[in-house]
Amino acid sequence: MQTLHVNGYDMAYLDIGRGRPLVCVHGTLGDFRTWSPVLGPLSKHHRVISLSLRRFFPEHWDGVGDDYLMAQHIDDVTGFIGKLELGPVDLIGHSRGGHIAFHVASRRPDLLRRLILAEPGGELDSSLDPLAAPAASPRAAGIVAAAANIGAGDIDGGLKLFFDMIEGEGAWGRLPAAPRQQLRDNAHTLIGQVGENRQPFTRADAEKIATPTLFIGGGDTRGTLATVHPALARHVPGSRTAMIPGAGHWMFDQAPQAFCKVVLEFLAA
Amino acid sequence: MQTLHVNGYDMAYLDIGQGPTLVCVHGSLCDFRIWSSVLGPLTRKHRVIALSLRHFFPEHWDGIGDTYSIAQHVDDVIGFIEKLDTRPVDLMGHSRGGHISFRVAQQRPDLLRKLILAEPGGELDSSLDPAAKPGSPSPLAARFAASAEKIAAGDVDGGLQFFIDALEGPGAWARTPAAPKQLLRDNAMTLIGQVRDQRPPFSKADAEAIKTPTLFIGGARTKGMLPQVLHALAAHVTGSKTAMIPGTTHPMFEQAPQKYCEIVLEFLAG
Repeated sequence: MQTLHVNGYDMAYLDIGRGRPLVCVHGTLGDFRTWSPVLGPLSKHHRVISLSLRRFFPEHWDGVGDDYLMAQHIDDVTGFIGKLELGPVDLIGHSRGGHIAFHVASRRPDLLRRLILAEPGGELDSSLDPLAAPAASPRAAGIVAAAANIGAGDIDGGLKLFFDMIEGEGAWGRLPAAPRQQLRDNAHTLIGQVGENRQPFTRADAEKIATPTLFIGGGDTRGTLATVHPALARHVPGSRTAMIPGAGHWMFDQAPQAFCKVVLEFLAA
Repeated sequence: MQTLHVNGYDMAYLDIGQGPTLVCVHGSLCDFRIWSSVLGPLTRKHRVIALSLRHFFPEHWDGIGDTYSIAQHVDDVIGFIEKLDTRPVDLMGHSRGGHISFRVAQQRPDLLRKLILAEPGGELDSSLDPAAKPGSPSPLAARFAASAEKIAAGDVDGGLQFFIDALEGPGAWARTPAAPKQLLRDNAMTLIGQVRDQRPPFSKADAEAIKTPTLFIGGARTKGMLPQVLHALAAHVTGSKTAMIPGTTHPMFEQAPQKYCEIVLEFLAG
C-alpha cells in the first residue's frame, strides 16, 4: 500500500479520485476498508484519502505497546495531513475517528477546509451534560470486558460484546461474515483502547471549532453515541446536522447513497 | 492508488503484506475491494496484490468502447504480472476472474507457481458437456443482456437486480446488504461491456493444457452452471484439487472468509 511516514510510523492509505482532497478517518475496529461502500460516489467528485490509524490493519498488531492513544492518533492525523502537502483538506471522521477529527480541527484549523463528524465517539463533561458522571462510562466498562475476552483469545466473544453494546443485543449475530472478518482483523486494537483515558468533550472545546462542520447521525442509533453529536452540534458555531433514517452507528455502511448525498452537498455548498 | 501501466492502461491495485506474492483477480461487477474480507488472514503469510481489471472501479467507466473483453483482460493480467518485481506468482481468480486466470495459466505457465480458481465463469463446449450445443448462447446470456440494457438506460438498480437474481435466485438482490450493493453499483456499467464480449467456451483440451498446480474452490450451495463448469474443468486439469465450502454460494469467500482462507493458505503452503 501507499504509506506516509508520520511520527515514526508508516501510515497506510488508499488514494482514489481527483478533486479536492477528502481525508477519511475510521473508528474503533475499523481501518481504511471501512469507507469502501462510499468510495464510489465520493471519488466521482473528490480525491478520497482513506487512512489506517496506527496499529490498525494492514498492520497485524498484537496489542503490546503503549502508543495506541487518542493523543497519538490526533498527532498522527495532524502529521499525516501536513505531509500530504495539499493545503487545507476536508476531513471526515467516524466514531473514534470523529473524536480524532474534532481535536485536529480544534488544534489546527489551518489544515482544514471543512469538517464532517459522523457520530463522533467520546464522553461529555458537565458543561455539555449536567448529568455527566465523573465515573467511568458504561461504554468504557464494556470495552474493558470485550478487550479481556480478546486478550484471552476469545476474539469473537469480545467482538460480540462490543458490537452488541453499540448496535443492540443480537447485532453481531445478524452481521454478515465479511464485515465480521474486518472487525476480527482489528480486534487487538481494543486492547490498546482500554485505559487510554481520553478526555471528555467540553462546551469550550465545541465553541472553539472554527471549521464549517457537518454532523451526521444514524436515526436508529441508541445510547451515548446518539447524545454526543447533538450536544456538540449545539455549540459548534454554524454547524449543521443530517440524520440518516433507518441507519445505526455504521450509517455509511447501511445507507451509502443517503450518506454520500449529504456529504457531497455539504462539501459542494 | 498504486497503479501499473499495462497495455496502455493504468491498472490500480492494492498491495499488502510480505511473503510469496498472491495476485487476486475479481469477477463481474466487482473490483479490488471484493477481496476485503480475506485480506486480513491472507496477508499474515503472503504479499497479496488485489488488482482492478480495466474499466472497473476505481475507474468510473461510461460503458463506451471495445476494450472490455476476456481477451483484453487476459492480456492485461499477463502484462500486469510481467511488470511485477517478482515472478512466478500465485494467481487466484473468482468467477469471471477465474476464467481470466485459467486463460493466463493456459497461455503463460511460466508466470505462475500455483493457481486457485473460485467458481470460474464460462461455458463448456461439447468435449466437456455432451449436451452443449455449439453456437447456442448460455441460458444466462439473455438475462445478462437484459440487465445491461436496463443499466444503459439508466436503471442501474433494476439491471443489477435482474443480474443478481439470475445468478443467486429470486430475491437475492433485495436480501443483499447496502454496502455490497453499492460496490456492484460502482461497477454496473461494466455489464454493458460484458454482454458484447464473445468468450470461447472451455474445452477438454484447454483443461488438459493447464500445467500449474491448481485448486478449485466452490460454494456447496451454488446452483446452475457454475458448479458444473468447476467440476468439468477439475476432472481434466491434471492433479487438481477441489474444495467445496459448506453452506456457501458463489461469493463463498465473503460468506465464509475464515474457511476460505484456511483452504487457500493450506494449498499455497502445501
